[in-house]
Amino acid sequence: MDSDEEDFVFFGTPIQREEEITNRRKKAAAEASGNLRALPPWKQEVRDEEGRRRFHGAFTGGFSAGYFNTVGTKEGWAPQSFTSSRKNRAEVKQQSIFSFLDEDEKTELEGALGTSSQFDTFGFTTAEYARKQADKEQKQRPSAIPGPVPDELVLPASESIGLKLLRKMGWRHGRAINDSHATSLYGARREARKAFLAFSSEDAKAPNPADEPVEEPESFTVQPADNDTRSSQSLPAFVCNPKQDLHGLGYDPFKHAPEFREKKRLDLSNDKQHGYRKAMSLKDSLFGSKSGKAAPGFGIGALEEYDAEDEDIYAAGYDFQETCMEEDEEPSSLSIESKQPSRLSIESKQKVVARDEGVLPGFKIASVSVCQLERFDPPVIPKDFVPHHKFPGPLETLKKLDVPSPPEVLPPDDCNLKLLIEGVAKLVARCGKLFEDLSRKKNQSNPLFSFLSGGNGHDYYERRLWEEHQKFGDQAKLLLDGKLSPSMQKMTAESRGKLLGEKPLERSSRETTSSSVASGEFQFQFNLSDTFQNSNSFSKLPEVAKPFKDDPAKQERFEQFLKEKYEGGLRSAGFTAASNMSEAVRAREKLDFEAVAEAIAKGKRGKESMVSTQRLDILASGMQFTSGGLEEVKDVHAEDLATKKKYPKREEFQWRPSPVLCKRFDLIDPFMGKPPPAPRMRSKIDSLLFIPDSVKGAKPEEDTVTNRDVPAPQTGAQMTIEDAAEKEIEIVAENVERPVDLYKAIFSDDSDDDVEDSNTKKVEDPEKKTEVATTTLNRLIAGDFLESLGKELGFEVPPDTPYSTNKVDVPRIETPNSDSGNPKLSSGTSLNPGNGTAQDIESPENESVPGWSVGYGSKHTVGLSENMSAKVNKDKFAEEDKKVKSPSSRKRNWSSSSSSEDERSRKHSKRHRYRSSDSYSDPSSDDREHYRSRSKGKERRSSKGKSSSSRKHSKHHKHRSRDSPSRDSPSRSHRGLERKHSEVRKEKSKRRN
Amino acid sequence: MTSSELPRKEANVLKGHEGAVLAARFNSDGNYCLSCGKDRTIRLWNPHRGIHIKTYKSHGREVRDVHVTPDNSKLCSCGGDRQIFYWDVSTGRVIRKFRGHDGEVNAVKFNEYASVVVSAGYDRSLRAWDCRSHSTEPIQIIDSFLDTVMSVCLTKTEIIGGSVDGTVRTFDIRMGREISDDLGQPVNCISMSNDGNCILASCLDSSIRLLDRSTGELLQEYKGHACKSYKMDCCLSNSDAHVIGGSVDGSIFFWDLVDASVVSKFRAHSSVVTSVSYHPKDNCMITASVDGSVRVWKT
Repeated sequence: MDSDEEDFVFFGTPIQREEEITNRRKKAAAEASGNLRALPPWKQEVRDEEGRRRFHGAFTGGFSAGYFNTVGTKEGWAPQSFTSSRKNRAEVKQQSIFSFLDEDEKTELEGALGTSSQFDTFGFTTAEYARKQADKEQKQRPSAIPGPVPDELVLPASESIGLKLLRKMGWRHGRAINDSHATSLYGARREARKAFLAFSSEDAKAPNPADEPVEEPESFTVQPADNDTRSSQSLPAFVCNPKQDLHGLGYDPFKHAPEFREKKRLDLSNDKQHGYRKAMSLKDSLFGSKSGKAAPGFGIGALEEYDAEDEDIYAAGYDFQETCMEEDEEPSSLSIESKQPSRLSIESKQKVVARDEGVLPGFKIASVSVCQLERFDPPVIPKDFVPHHKFPGPLETLKKLDVPSPPEVLPPDDCNLKLLIEGVAKLVARCGKLFEDLSRKKNQSNPLFSFLSGGNGHDYYERRLWEEHQKFGDQAKLLLDGKLSPSMQKMTAESRGKLLGEKPLERSSRETTSSSVASGEFQFQFNLSDTFQNSNSFSKLPEVAKPFKDDPAKQERFEQFLKEKYEGGLRSAGFTAASNMSEAVRAREKLDFEAVAEAIAKGKRGKESMVSTQRLDILASGMQFTSGGLEEVKDVHAEDLATKKKYPKREEFQWRPSPVLCKRFDLIDPFMGKPPPAPRMRSKIDSLLFIPDSVKGAKPEEDTVTNRDVPAPQTGAQMTIEDAAEKEIEIVAENVERPVDLYKAIFSDDSDDDVEDSNTKKVEDPEKKTEVATTTLNRLIAGDFLESLGKELGFEVPPDTPYSTNKVDVPRIETPNSDSGNPKLSSGTSLNPGNGTAQDIESPENESVPGWSVGYGSKHTVGLSENMSAKVNKDKFAEEDKKVKSPSSRKRNWSSSSSSEDERSRKHSKRHRYRSSDSYSDPSSDDREHYRSRSKGKERRSSKGKSSSSRKHSKHHKHRSRDSPSRDSPSRSHRGLERKHSEVRKEKSKRRN
Repeated sequence: MTSSELPRKEANVLKGHEGAVLAARFNSDGNYCLSCGKDRTIRLWNPHRGIHIKTYKSHGREVRDVHVTPDNSKLCSCGGDRQIFYWDVSTGRVIRKFRGHDGEVNAVKFNEYASVVVSAGYDRSLRAWDCRSHSTEPIQIIDSFLDTVMSVCLTKTEIIGGSVDGTVRTFDIRMGREISDDLGQPVNCISMSNDGNCILASCLDSSIRLLDRSTGELLQEYKGHACKSYKMDCCLSNSDAHVIGGSVDGSIFFWDLVDASVVSKFRAHSSVVTSVSYHPKDNCMITASVDGSVRVWKT
């Protein structure tokens, strides 16, 4: 066994076995004998006499006591028998406490505390006890005098121990302990005292045989008779005055220090002086204590004058005796009279003194105070200060328009720097100067940011800043104008150009923007992305396979690509890190990567649908961040747009009254016979996942519809029949789709932007276009990032305000069923593969949202999302849309379905709803299959490039959630949407310039 | 009714409450009125004679609202002790206590048949309690509000609640619909017009809003008084011609219903006017105030 134990490691406390009981007994015995006393308390165990543990842990039996944890006994309880017969009368038993006690308790009780006559200072208890004793005795023996008379007349006397001692020392009643002055009154006093304290008189001793010491004091009395006469006065008076101090009962602080009493008294009024002196002299003679054995009592201030001399507070061995004597001695009227008022007056005097000086006696208020309150003058307000708060945002920017423009400067050669400068300038223009200061401070050491403090590119920065301000002011102005007369939009050169289908002139620096941005150099973006929360999942996916093992460099790029794809952060322009590659090669590679990544992802997803929840979590966290930041932007915007008409807004939901309520209201239950409603979903993910299909299906419809509403001039021409046809198919497919892969929806890229961009720029070869598109997109993303950063830093970022609403009127070209051999279409298709990936997920989204394929992808998303939100919030809007735009049965579906109970749940978690609505445009993998079979042209689409990132998605959310103000006035919101679209466009073109 | 017929003359002062009076309500025929307040009592008065009739004591904390059945046989009251008390008027006994609100209860109302008590609570819920059964569990909990529900109104088929989340929500039992009208401002008190077509909602931005119930349209806003933090009632006159509301400074405002002009304004109390109630038939009005008095106003 021992050897076994060596081999094993044991955890926990072993369960005790039966055989150990003997051990326990031994242990108990040892413990009883004190062997185990040395154990520390926490190791000791409580055991009964049998050595059993009676206390256990809560999990091992708890407390056990008594007879099976009861108060019973083995014998049980039996009532006492009562038998009484004529011959044998039962005695009436007097019950005492002992008849109810156990043996052990009785033993305990015997040793219990009792009163001892020895310490019965006052003798009352003893006297009583003795009387009782005598009483008992008297009962037992036949008394000569019948009746209770002797008991009342004659009381047994008993003395306190002090008296006994004193007596043994030769003291007698009525005498002082020392030789003291006799008074002539002694005799009479003694008589009075006898009456006063009956038990102490010698007469009383007679009947009590136990009173032995009586003789001795007589015999030992040393003092002459004249001493007796003195004694009564020498003893302190019996305390009769009301207690008004904090001393102990009967304690006189001046007893041993008559000098101080004298001193005190001297402070008082003089009329009592005489009596005190007398008393003092008596005391002096009594104790001879001139040594200043002062014991300042409780309640005498420690700071009072005489306390320096207190030597021996508790030294008085006499104390006890003296108190005895105090009681025994009869009060002297003289001292009572003199003492009582004096004490009172002493105290009052003390108070008076204290009040006079304001501090304790012996102290006085310092003339110069040590600590002085420091006072500071209020800050001096500069003379030119005008108490006027400037609000950041449109108002400010309007003013800034007056600022003379800095000279036009050529942008720096380094396109990274240029991008950076532009981004910062834009942000500064929006957020105000504060941001500039802050970023300058933050990036002091960063050479890239030297332009902020006058270094390289400062001029350009100035210029950009000015431009941004101007633009911003313009927007604000236009916004104001637009509110008044939305139809009368100012037409800028750009908008006009767009209307006419002109291609905007490119700046000289344009080509550099395309993609040579090396990831490492673009510090700013990376800094930002560092602040972002990385999602974990990307690390999982790439693990699966290394498709480019043969080419390490390529593999690296692929990994980088994957990382960016799944990271959910800012898309750095750097996945094209190998800047030596040509655009075409890079694009092709990217396409490859997308395809591979998709394949990997698909394979993974097949296995682990469980991971999806985790992804959702990630998604939730990531999304919250982004949408939070963006929402504020929207907020500002919403407030801009919000007029008074915003409220009240009406919403309708389904509500289910309980049947009883209906009954009580005497109404028919509208839900009679229907199953009880499902419990409302509370968690975010729940609401994300379980939104019924009807609603989901309806939403994509909305998107499509709204997008259709928004005509895109340039793309209109490019719209092909096939597109239209596809759209139809997609719509059909959409309804079937379910929102499962939210993760994808959010973190994957939108390819639309690329497509749109390329559409606008038809001239270039597709790949190049896609590159350009990605860079512009990147810029947009960077802008978003800056915004969100600004948010984080606490800036208010004014939104991009609509610039022009000229898009509203542009007719939309829909030509279904025309010939399919459209050259433009082909170009479009080639385009898509150029930058696209083989992501199935993306494709439905694109398809469902025709507007996206129409130029300005990234911008469109904004507008689109707005549309969507408008839809979501307002049924009316949908209907109006229906009237205005292409009729779709879907819409009707939606509006009808909107009244379902899902609405309610959506309402309750608005944000989630938005999210989910967004997500459902992405089909689940299973549904994807279905979808594929349905739509032929899907394949082409599915290979669309993916360059937009989660950022865009988050943007959707933001806009959607914030769009509520437009609910109530559908036409208004519609207009606003369009305006937004155009504005977005404009901004884009501007950025390009 | 012209403005001269507005009840502006003080007919009686009902004194007896110690501390603030939180609500004063006419009974259905207007012969009696009930008041309740911070002294944890409910008092029944004859406002026309100025007589205190009865005191109902049982609440453990302040009583915030009280309502009486149309047949005057039962009372319901609620308050800071989170319970709804269902009283017998004549005996003054509590017939039932409904517990369940997780916070103070701000308002109670009987339905038309006095079979259900609907209460509005700080716990963001409306709860309906059955007076006919012996159950003390709510028969319906409406918790779609996002914030404290301050006030509740009942029609024959609807439950209407006003909440600090800025919404007035109508729960149509017959249709099984919830209609939410978001006013954008915390709603302090709602009261129905006598024709049942409009809802008067007193908001904490010192304005009273008149909503069309069928469309949710904002018909009018009444401003001029101060109402920023207290729960202060508003009501319409019995002819629906005027809107009556109290102000923090103790004055009473009469607005014209249609053009929202302040028709009359006078100082009624020395402190916040917590409650106003208009006589169902006569030109008579009672106001309650933090100053501890209930005043009866007549033309």
